[in-house]
Amino acid sequence: MVQRFANFAVKKKAHLKYIFILIFILNSLSVFCQETKLPERIISIAEELASDESDPEAVGAYIERLHDLAENPVRLNSSDENEISRLFFLSDFQVKILADYVHSFGRIITLYEVANIPGFDKETAEIMFPFVTLETKISMGPDSARWRNVSVTNFHFKSGNKDTTSLGPPWKMLSKYKFSVGAFAGGLTVEKDPGEKLLSGNPPLPDFLSANLAYTGKGVIRRIIAGDFSARFGLGTNLNTGIRTGLSLSSSGYMSARDEIIPYTSTDENNFFRGVAADLSLKNLGLCLFYSKNLSDATLGSSTGDSNNYIENLYTSGLHNTSSLLVKKDVISDQTYGVNLSYNFNNIKVGLIWSENRFSLAVNPSGNDPKDNFEFKGDRNDLYSIYYNSLIKRILLYGEFSSNGYSGSAFVQGLSFRPSDRITFNFLLRNYSACYVSFHGKGPGSGSTTGNERGILGNFSFEAAKHLFITGGCDIQQFPWLRYRCSAPSYGLKQEVRARYLPTEKMAFEASFNYRSVMLDSSENTGIPKQMEVVSKSFKATFRYIVNENLTLGSRFDYKISDPSSSKGMLLLQDINYRFRHLPISIWFRYCIFKSDSWDSRLYTYENDMLYSFSIPALSGEGSRSYLMIKSDIGKKAELRVKYGMTSLIESRENITENRELKVQVRLEF
Amino acid sequence: MGSLHKISVSVFFVFLSLTASGGDPYRPSAGAGEAGMGYVCVMKNGFWSSFHNQALLADNTSFSFGFNYESRFNIPELGTRTLGITIPSGKASLGALYSHFGYIDFKRDMTGLACGIKLSNKINAGVQVDYFSERTTGEYSNHQALTFETGLLFKPSENIRLGIHLFNPVPNSIRKTYLPTTLRIGAGTDLSKILFTGVEAEMSSGNDLIIRTGFEYEAARNLWLRGGFSTNNNSFCFGFGYLTKIAKLDLGFTTHERLGVTSSISLIFKIH
Repeated sequence: MVQRFANFAVKKKAHLKYIFILIFILNSLSVFCQETKLPERIISIAEELASDESDPEAVGAYIERLHDLAENPVRLNSSDENEISRLFFLSDFQVKILADYVHSFGRIITLYEVANIPGFDKETAEIMFPFVTLETKISMGPDSARWRNVSVTNFHFKSGNKDTTSLGPPWKMLSKYKFSVGAFAGGLTVEKDPGEKLLSGNPPLPDFLSANLAYTGKGVIRRIIAGDFSARFGLGTNLNTGIRTGLSLSSSGYMSARDEIIPYTSTDENNFFRGVAADLSLKNLGLCLFYSKNLSDATLGSSTGDSNNYIENLYTSGLHNTSSLLVKKDVISDQTYGVNLSYNFNNIKVGLIWSENRFSLAVNPSGNDPKDNFEFKGDRNDLYSIYYNSLIKRILLYGEFSSNGYSGSAFVQGLSFRPSDRITFNFLLRNYSACYVSFHGKGPGSGSTTGNERGILGNFSFEAAKHLFITGGCDIQQFPWLRYRCSAPSYGLKQEVRARYLPTEKMAFEASFNYRSVMLDSSENTGIPKQMEVVSKSFKATFRYIVNENLTLGSRFDYKISDPSSSKGMLLLQDINYRFRHLPISIWFRYCIFKSDSWDSRLYTYENDMLYSFSIPALSGEGSRSYLMIKSDIGKKAELRVKYGMTSLIESRENITENRELKVQVRLEF
Repeated sequence: MGSLHKISVSVFFVFLSLTASGGDPYRPSAGAGEAGMGYVCVMKNGFWSSFHNQALLADNTSFSFGFNYESRFNIPELGTRTLGITIPSGKASLGALYSHFGYIDFKRDMTGLACGIKLSNKINAGVQVDYFSERTTGEYSNHQALTFETGLLFKPSENIRLGIHLFNPVPNSIRKTYLPTTLRIGAGTDLSKILFTGVEAEMSSGNDLIIRTGFEYEAARNLWLRGGFSTNNNSFCFGFGYLTKIAKLDLGFTTHERLGVTSSISLIFKIH
């Protein structure tokens, strides 16, 4: 099948003449693009994640992953499926096709050649650009025996009233260090949130400290990690401490990328493993083993009154800036171990996962809230899963079934169908029973937890005409039991249509319409709350224009209506990115004016930010948001970024609040 | 008498918030030609457009001056008189603008000094320094404010023009007097030699987003017909312009859902 794709690609070689004409211009542009802009679809996904209040860490993990890719781009010409599958937003189809294309026809000469490979289009190619390289070997790879060290340190200062209950200074600090030498790599991450002490505990250590050491091989031992790591197997219903699949209704596919264990470099202070993991491979057989014992945050309760002897709930925000929050820090141990065994037959891959999670104290949710009826109780959770994926001609089937003993189960079944190279359909069915619990799992779904959800999702991606791409999708959700802010079984609906027009290589127009419906408790009632349907409809239009190799413009307007409150939100913004021709300096400037009647109609806007950091402010009220960011290369080994942002909120003509922030970053490479 | 002043000032503010030219009542809505197109002018060349986006000044190659009178809803007290001048100077052009609004009990004057420059064949940039003075009689206090506005113009091709304009990006904490900030972004194209169309988005702090669209059609030699629509109060606009030997005469009319019609007239003289 893959070979058939590749043969078909030969016909497309006729387009190479056109491609070569563009090489001169595009090569220079692509370099600039990498530095200044993320593709619109990536930004949309980030904003969608930021708007999901139930999973505040998701957007951080997503951005982190993108930064990692940008720092260590995927070697397309390696023809290694594992390497290419690091582009987590590609479908399994696309990974196979790309690897086979390089196998069959040799090196990809220009990134724009990717757009002409069957299964790809200009839009998908554009999404890949910032995260790939055409080099076959790069210094971070296992073939390099040279020491390479990279350190990044961020400081974030915000204006505003000082919180007197905070234990430490109000600024935020993040520092990361990575090294690689040959097949070995390692890293160290230190973070201090606003209001936290820089050093605390005995011995005094930073509030969050993470380290890892990894070996990557090409033989039986594919990877060994000691220290902090992240894992994902199958479709993630059993184990997935990375990002959730099925992020957007306009995704090109919903199947997870490959099984993986990767060094943990993110800043979510709870959802990661600390221990040892090994990824082994023998021909078509894959085996991953891991053991982790990590300290986690929790709110403890006591039944006897004199000592804490059970867990009321897990505390996941990672913020320890007051005495009451500091008490929750690292109070329980979370011991997790498991194994993933997979085998690749010709057209089908099958895998088995077992994992066990043990807490040092039993979980016993407090209160008599019916919502908690199916919450996990006890100190041990065993999970068993079986998963598969199979490529049959132009149909990709994949699925997973997981069970935690006899109490709960999760079932996911997906299908990707590509009747022609210009159209793709995806369907995804999921059924998570109310009592299914996975503390380190994150299967495809709408919420942060994999439990209490049934749903079916369908979408299509269509190259309607030359330069015109249309995607659309619908996700119907059912929640068979009560959930946060909804005291009855409920349902939800998401719909999206997106059109993208790329008339030239320098211009891009995109328009999208989103419909979201969710059931929530009405706040006006006393006693047993009634439910109401909250509907939001939003329209977004963006325009990007690369004026020349130094200057890029971006304009956008959003309009949103939220019912039943009938509140409206709207914004207009202008981005200007400029890179000086004779100086190693780039600047990013944004001016945005917004207005929203209430918090329901708030709008999210992705901002360019520091490396390994992100900013997607929720704009609510009336006012403006502007920022200026400057990046300067200091020699070949250092880079300085400074961002100054200001949000102005108009209460009245006499009462205007201005919040300022300053971010500084130093990146060193040696 | 004092209460009469209060009433008239209140009426003024009500009308001010309902101006057909957008949510920002501080900047003069000068140009009858621009009014006829619904003020879709952030990217369109023209004498008065140069004061809506100073980057357009750089394309003005003649020494010109002009007068404009706008009668808002045909109420004499809400009339605006504007005088402008542009002076070409190599790659750069200079401009000056004076505008007077109001009547004996409430006056608002605005003076602007502008400069536009060609940065390349495809890019123009411009800036204008503005001084506002607001004077009222009776117990109300007078206000003065200094700010600036800036614009960019891009020409991706011969027929397409993109304009960006930002008025008053100065934080209000620096200046004690409140002034709204306005962002305008627009694109226009010559569909043929005799037909120009454009679309523009504008948002002022504290006001709704406005989308405008308009056209200019050269119906006969030296005679232009114009039309436009703005989502602000669902306002329709129309007008025409005629070029004589010594001057260009423009008339523009802007409708308002409830308050009637605002009419404008302007005369522009080109010296060479």
